[in-house]
Amino acid sequence: MSAPGTAAGTARTAGGAPHADALLQVLDLHVKAGEQPVLRGVSLAVGIGEVHAIMGPNGSGKSTLAHVLAGRPGYEIVSGSVRFEGCDLLALAPEARARAGLFLGFQYPVEIPGVNNAYLLKAAVNAARRERGLQELDAFEFLALVRRQMGLMHIDESFLGRGVNEGFSGGEKKRNEILQMLVLEPKLALLDETDSGLDIDALKVVADGVNSLRAPGRAIVLITHYQRLLDYVVPDIVHVLARGRIALSGDRTLALELERRGYDWVADAATA
Amino acid sequence: MVPVMPAAAQAGVHDPLLERALRDFDGAAARLSDAIIPQAARRRAAEQLTGLGWPSSRDEHWRYANLRALERIATFAPAPAAADTADVASALELPARLPGFQRLLFIDGVRSGAQVDAAVADRGAWALSAEAAGWAPEQRLGLLGEMFAQDAVVLQITGAAAVEVLFVTSARSSAAVYPRVQLQLAPGSSLTLIERHLGEPAAAPVLVCANVTAELGRGAQLQHYRLQQYGPHVVFNDSLRARLQQQANYRVRQIVIGADSTRTSAEVRLAGRGAALSWQAIAIGRAGQVHDTALKVEHAAPATHVEEVFRGIAEERSRLAFSGHVLIQPGAAGAEARQSLRGLIEGASAEIDLRPRLQIHTDEVSAQHGATTGRLDENLLFYLLSRGIDRRDARALLKWAFLGDVLRAIELPSLREQAERGAAGVLQDVLAVGALP
Repeated sequence: MSAPGTAAGTARTAGGAPHADALLQVLDLHVKAGEQPVLRGVSLAVGIGEVHAIMGPNGSGKSTLAHVLAGRPGYEIVSGSVRFEGCDLLALAPEARARAGLFLGFQYPVEIPGVNNAYLLKAAVNAARRERGLQELDAFEFLALVRRQMGLMHIDESFLGRGVNEGFSGGEKKRNEILQMLVLEPKLALLDETDSGLDIDALKVVADGVNSLRAPGRAIVLITHYQRLLDYVVPDIVHVLARGRIALSGDRTLALELERRGYDWVADAATA
Repeated sequence: MVPVMPAAAQAGVHDPLLERALRDFDGAAARLSDAIIPQAARRRAAEQLTGLGWPSSRDEHWRYANLRALERIATFAPAPAAADTADVASALELPARLPGFQRLLFIDGVRSGAQVDAAVADRGAWALSAEAAGWAPEQRLGLLGEMFAQDAVVLQITGAAAVEVLFVTSARSSAAVYPRVQLQLAPGSSLTLIERHLGEPAAAPVLVCANVTAELGRGAQLQHYRLQQYGPHVVFNDSLRARLQQQANYRVRQIVIGADSTRTSAEVRLAGRGAALSWQAIAIGRAGQVHDTALKVEHAAPATHVEEVFRGIAEERSRLAFSGHVLIQPGAAGAEARQSLRGLIEGASAEIDLRPRLQIHTDEVSAQHGATTGRLDENLLFYLLSRGIDRRDARALLKWAFLGDVLRAIELPSLREQAERGAAGVLQDVLAVGALP
C-alpha cells in the first residue's frame, strides 16, 4: 500500500512546507467544533493559477475547512495559520475575507426572501470594487456585467427580481452560486460540493462556469465527494482529506484511483 | 342640563388613575361638545369605566400593555376646542399628499383647515349604538374616548371614496387627544382610508386615545391603512371595532413605529356569510418602547375568512406583543383562519410575546397558525457577509426582508414608499444600505 504523499506516482507531498508564492497557505491548522476536533493539522498550499480538488469521505472535514477559511463563526481555531496573499486570513472578518478576494460557493445556499438577487449581487460587486479602489458600477454597467454571466449560466433575467434563492430548485441554487462567483471575480474560489445534487446537464453548465473563471491570476479549490465534476473541471492537484488532515496529494489520476478503490485505503494509509 | 353627581365622587373608586380620569372628566365635561357625543352618553361611559375598573397588568388582556406609561401623562382632559392651530399647521412637515385622496387634518385633537367634500359626507357624528359605544373589558380604555372626544371624522360612504385623515400632535400641547373615526359603508360601497398618527416629540407625556368604529354593509370594501409615527412622549391607546356583513371585505395594514407606548385593542366581528378580514401589521420597537396589540376576531357566520400577519422587530430594550384571538362560533361552518406571527429580537434586553389563540366551536373549519420569535438567522447573516456585505448592512438588509411581506401588502405605491421610509428611518442604517426600491 502506498504511503501518504507517494500515491499514484505523483510528485506532490501532502500539504507541504511554506510556499513563498502561494496564494493560500494553510499550515498545520487544528480546528474544533464544540469539543470535537475536526481538523487535525491541515497543511495546504494553493498557488496562483492552480485548480485544486479536495476529496475525501463524509465527515473528513472538507466542508469545515471551506467554512473556516471563509470565516464562519462556531469553530475554534486551536492552532495553525492561514495566509492569503501573505496576510493573516484568520484575523479578518468574513466580509473582509470576501472583499480581499475569497469566495465560498455554498453546498446548501440559503434562501433569503425579501432580498432580491439583483440587490445582493450589486451590493456585493460594489463592496469588492470599493475595496480594490475601483469606482462603483452604476445600474447600467452592473446589468451589462450580470447579463453576460447569466447567459453563460443559463439563468433567465427574471431571476434578478426574485428573492435570493427563493423557491429555487437545487440546481438553480448552485448555478446562482456560480453566477455570483463569476460576477465577483474572486482571486480564490472555494466551491463546497457544488456538484452535489446536479444532473449531468446542470453539472456541465456549472463546470463551464467554473472553467470560465480559470485564469492565470486566480485559483480554484473544488471540494467534492465524487470525481465526476473533475471530468469537466480538470484539477492540477488532487488532495485527499481523511480524519482531519490531508492524507494524500497527487495529480488528477489520484481522483480516478479513488473512484476505483474508494477512500478506505487512504484512511488506512493516513493512520498507518 | 340635568345636574349629576360628579363622576369622581362616585363610590368604589380606589384606583388613583381612574380617580384622576374621572376628576379630569368632571372638570372638562361642561365644555365637551354635545353634538359629537351627548352628555348622557359621556356619563354612561364614565360609569361603565368605573364599573369595569382601571385595567391592571394582572389581567391577561392587559398583561403586555404599558399601563405604567399612563401614570406619567399630564391630564386626561383634551385641549379647549377653540385653540388656534393655524400656526402649528404651517410649521409642520406633513407627508406629501397622495393623488386622489381627500385630506382631513387634526392638530392636537382640533380640526384644521378644509373639510372633506360632500360626496364623501363627513356628516357630523351620529350616536353610536349602546353596543358600539360600550367597549368590551379588553377595550375598556376606549371608554375614555367616549367620555372626552370633542370631534369626530364621520364618513358615510355610498359609492367609492379615498380619504386620508391625519392626527398630528404638536410639541406645545400637553392636553390629551381623542381621535375619533366613525365609518359606515353602505352595501357595495368602497373606501380607502389612510389613518395617520404623527407628530413632533411632545414636551411632556401626552395621552392619545383613538376610537375607530366601522360598519361594513353587504359587499362593502374597506382598505384601511394605519400608520402610527408619533414622536416620543406620546402614550397611544387605540381601540377599534368593526362589524362586517355578508361578503364584506376589510383589509387593515398597520404600521406602528412611534410613541413611547402603543396599545391597540381591536375587535372584528364577521357577522355575515363570506365576510373577510385581512390584518397585516408591523411593529418596530426601539429604546424602551412598548407596542402591544390585542386583536380578537369572531367568526359568527359561515364561510368567513381571516388572515393575520404580524411582523415585529424589537431593538434595544423595547417590548412587543401581539395577541391574535380567533373565535369560530358554532354557526360558522366553512370558516378559514390563518395566522402568521413572527418576531425578531434585536436588542439584548428586548422582548416579544406572540400569542396566537384559536377557539373553535364548529367542525368543518380550516385553521392554521404559526408563531415564531427569534434572533436574526446566523446562516443568512453569514451568507451575506461571505459576499462581502458589511455586517451592519447585512443585518439591516435581513431586517428589511423580514418586514417585506407586510410592506408589499401596501398596494398604493406612494404610500408604500412613505411607509417604507418611515420604517427605514427607525431601523438603524437601512436607508444607508439603499435597500429601498
